[in-house]
Amino acid sequence: MKRRTFITGAFAGTAALALGVNLYSPTLTTASDDVHHRVLFSVFIPIFLDGSLPEVANHREMAINRTLDAIVQSIDHLPQAQQAELMELLDLLEGRFGLLLLSGSMTPLLGREPKQLIDMLEFWRNSFLDMLNTAYTGLRELIMASYYACPEHWGNLRYAKPTFLVSHSN
Amino acid sequence: MAIIDPIINGLSSGWQHIDASALEKDRHFEADVVIVGTGAGGGTAAEILSQAGLKVIMIEGGALKSSTHFDMEERHAYPNLYQQAAALKTADKGIGIFQGRTVGGSTTINWTTSIRTPEPTLNFWQQAKSVQGLSATELQPWFEKMEQRLNIEQWQYEANRNNAALRQGCEKLGWEYTVIKRNVKGCWNTGYCGMGCPVNAKQSMLLTTIPSALDNGATLISRAKVVKLEHKGDKVVGLTAQAMTEGVKPTALTITFSAKHYILSAGAIHTPTILMRSNTPDPHKQLGKTFLHPSLLSGAMFSEQINGHSGAPQSIYSDEFVWQDGAAGELGYKLEVAPVHPVLIASKTIGYGVSHAQLMANFNQMQVTIALIRDGFNEQSPGGQVRLTDDSFALDYPLTEGFWRGAKRAFLSMAELQFAAGAKKVLPMHDGLNFFDSWNDAKQGINQLDLGLIKTIVASAHVMGGCAMGEDKTQAMVNSYGHSHYLENLSVMDGSVFPTSLGANPQLSIYGIVARNATALAQKLTQSS
Repeated sequence: MKRRTFITGAFAGTAALALGVNLYSPTLTTASDDVHHRVLFSVFIPIFLDGSLPEVANHREMAINRTLDAIVQSIDHLPQAQQAELMELLDLLEGRFGLLLLSGSMTPLLGREPKQLIDMLEFWRNSFLDMLNTAYTGLRELIMASYYACPEHWGNLRYAKPTFLVSHSN
Repeated sequence: MAIIDPIINGLSSGWQHIDASALEKDRHFEADVVIVGTGAGGGTAAEILSQAGLKVIMIEGGALKSSTHFDMEERHAYPNLYQQAAALKTADKGIGIFQGRTVGGSTTINWTTSIRTPEPTLNFWQQAKSVQGLSATELQPWFEKMEQRLNIEQWQYEANRNNAALRQGCEKLGWEYTVIKRNVKGCWNTGYCGMGCPVNAKQSMLLTTIPSALDNGATLISRAKVVKLEHKGDKVVGLTAQAMTEGVKPTALTITFSAKHYILSAGAIHTPTILMRSNTPDPHKQLGKTFLHPSLLSGAMFSEQINGHSGAPQSIYSDEFVWQDGAAGELGYKLEVAPVHPVLIASKTIGYGVSHAQLMANFNQMQVTIALIRDGFNEQSPGGQVRLTDDSFALDYPLTEGFWRGAKRAFLSMAELQFAAGAKKVLPMHDGLNFFDSWNDAKQGINQLDLGLIKTIVASAHVMGGCAMGEDKTQAMVNSYGHSHYLENLSVMDGSVFPTSLGANPQLSIYGIVARNATALAQKLTQSS
């Protein structure tokens, strides 16, 4: 699988040269990657879904876990090229140099305060670089779609599908 | 309540259907006509050609799903029924694209809006794109035929509140509006058309022409992705498909086909992609020029319940701004509404955290108007270009200055309309904006907006062009009957033949034009045999 898809063009070349490292790693995703990515998403979910997640601790934890499962399923449905892009972004966010490149700090995301994470997202969101805008919108869409795909998260919406078909298979 | 599934019943009665995911070895098939794709074009062509006594094979990349599987949940509908699980985007991520990938194509998951090709579009094609024989008068009998076939009639029920707001705004402002014609029979007015009709009311290809073709002895092969045409001289000599897994991922098994005639109806991205991958002649570089009706969204909060998920998704449109400056003038836009379901709205709105949570908490008060920009009629909107990648395709679609000017006008019109309809606040879907509390605020704010890639939400549900028709080979790949200019036994019958976008939702244009072209082809093939 080709992995050099998220970072493209002159920006990638310049950054890699400046850091003296090759940011492109052609390894395939493995099961341990998935575990790391789960940890990474568990950092982002409370930020993106602040105000939507339940406030009661164990309900909140259940909702986060349910969303993490849905994210895994959502990623599995994406075409190869989009999966590769996403994995490259996640890999970058899990490495010190990648973090420095994308957020200006080497502090692991797990060790950051919510305010610092919001600052990073706002930096991406308002950047003049399409690559960072894409990182923001890509994570946003994936997390929002995965959370609201679950019927158990529709309580606040007062949305429920009609009940005339009770025996439909999934 | 149990709903009878006519597809399950048809399969039990002996329809010839092969699910390629179940194949254990390579296979070869022969027929009079092989049709690639089962959407509006492929379905219509299959019925007409099989009625003429021709042996027809339909090949579909997606799976055969029917009302038994349509459970009204986005989490199942998008991966099962849409291209790339509804996450298909242009190469720069600027436009999200919704396109069907299932037996019946986009007709299985569209919102049933049925509009004849607008006359200004037909006139433009005739004058600027060398299309012949497709005037409104010449097409009328074909539209009438397909309207009758698919029960296309004006929606008789009261519009749901989402659509009623569009009508109310138009009434207040003196703008044109039209009650939509829909291809439904016995519709339950529930609002889940986009996830596959659970009660078999939508007269999609899945429930009409494809069963008819199967009754006539045609064969359907699903989960088979056509990758290449073999051609020699000026003839197509074969076609190769890849069997897909149950999850619609490629396998190593191939299925080959030979036929007297081949029809590409794979949609406006995949039809040109197949031709490109096959290295068919394209001396004037016309393949893959694509149009999208790139669309803007505007959300409005009302004090009363809108319940935009409930009821026919689209029943009113306004053409007030589509042709205001003439076909080739400043970009026009059609006003419609979009149904409000959780995944669609959560992902196509803006922001995160508490502001987004509040938006979602008021989900049932939200009205969503959309503006579909009419692209392809002038240099301001040249459209996009499909290109091959190593193992797939990409669609480059630059959003031009002319587009952004049109987008700004569209945001203004939508906000004016929503406030006129009684909205308390309005949010154009552009990242970083907050709700506007009045039309005056919105007017000022939108005029100052710096619209641009990714920050402005742009979506498309209408992929058109890519294999344009016309008599002038420097502008077109196929003639006005959809017949290839270069390969004598190849036709294209889908939305890819449109030389521009339409300025209207495309399904009825495809039905009408393909009915005409497939009928002519059936006569030709039966006379020559």
